[in-house]
Amino acid sequence: MSCSPFDLKDYFLQELPSSQRVKLEAHVKTCLTCREELERLQLTGAALFSLRDEEIPQRIAFVSDQIFEPSPLRRWLSGFWCSTARLGFASALMLSASIFFAAIRPGPIVDRPAVATVAAQQQIQQQIQQAVSNAVTEVEARQAEKTKQLVAYIEHQNVETLRSVRWMAGELDANRKRSQVRQMAMYVQPGESGEVK
Amino acid sequence: MIFRAVEDADLIRQATRGNVESFNLLVSRWEKRVYNYLLRITANREDALDLTQDAFLKAYQNLRKLDDPGRFAPWLYRIAHNEAYSMFRKRKPETDVEEIEPEATETKITVGGSSVFPIELSLAVASALDRLSTDQREAVVLKIYQGFKFEEMAEILSCPVSTVKSRLYTALELLKLELAPMKARGVS
Repeated sequence: MSCSPFDLKDYFLQELPSSQRVKLEAHVKTCLTCREELERLQLTGAALFSLRDEEIPQRIAFVSDQIFEPSPLRRWLSGFWCSTARLGFASALMLSASIFFAAIRPGPIVDRPAVATVAAQQQIQQQIQQAVSNAVTEVEARQAEKTKQLVAYIEHQNVETLRSVRWMAGELDANRKRSQVRQMAMYVQPGESGEVK
Repeated sequence: MIFRAVEDADLIRQATRGNVESFNLLVSRWEKRVYNYLLRITANREDALDLTQDAFLKAYQNLRKLDDPGRFAPWLYRIAHNEAYSMFRKRKPETDVEEIEPEATETKITVGGSSVFPIELSLAVASALDRLSTDQREAVVLKIYQGFKFEEMAEILSCPVSTVKSRLYTALELLKLELAPMKARGVS
């Protein structure tokens, strides 16, 4: 059992950071058990390295076969579709381009509301004028009718009044005549009877 | 004029445009490492060579799917790993891949070239590696011989980092028991 602060195998396999390596080396100098364990690992490593790499018995090389070799276009397409980075970049580029063109283009979508607004305003103005003129005509016609009726009523009233006045004048005249007759009669009656009042 | 080394990323870019020669240059840079990785998990030269060719062919066909050229190495090893496990399953469909053992020690990997190490130690190492499970052996190969980080190993093996560490630590314990005394006795 190792008493080392860090794993001796990690040290042997060179997987320890430098700060931990320094601490472990300091510990190994003072601890006989850990030093012996590390020596065993190093002996094992040295033994393993006695097995040398072999040369490859046959060199590997490839030749380009024109029959099976895809065309440059197909290679480019294959490379494009296999690369997420390229696909992402192309998508971003297309999006940017569409935003840019939409921003700089004096599109009909932008102008159409302005034209429509002017036309609508003119139409509304015409409708308002038409409605006002219609209303004015109606009011004038109604007022003319009322005036006509009023004039007719007044004329009728005048005729009635005149008739009444005439009747009253006739009555008055008749009354006056009757009273004169009555007075004449009073004056005449005593004389005829021989008595003077 | 400024000169700089041609990096893998440059070759990958040119290869995706259909430049086969750039891909061949990329192959020449990686074929030995991939071959030895496959050799150590299959323990068979023919299989390792076939799988290496298949892995590079698949890599060429799918190179356009590699978004980050900086992750080429884990991506390539992931293909090689898949090819190897596909072969294991085809050969022993009823057997769990974990139980598949490599070939017998008689056909085991031998030391290539004029090694300064004695043959006995190499044989002992090969034998000790053979006794590990397939997953443990692959973890050791990826870490010790190929130098990948835990995160890259997890990506290649398609499992959590904790699983990678567990397999590697167990394998190291087993290897240590066999190899450390031998090395300490001064076989080398």
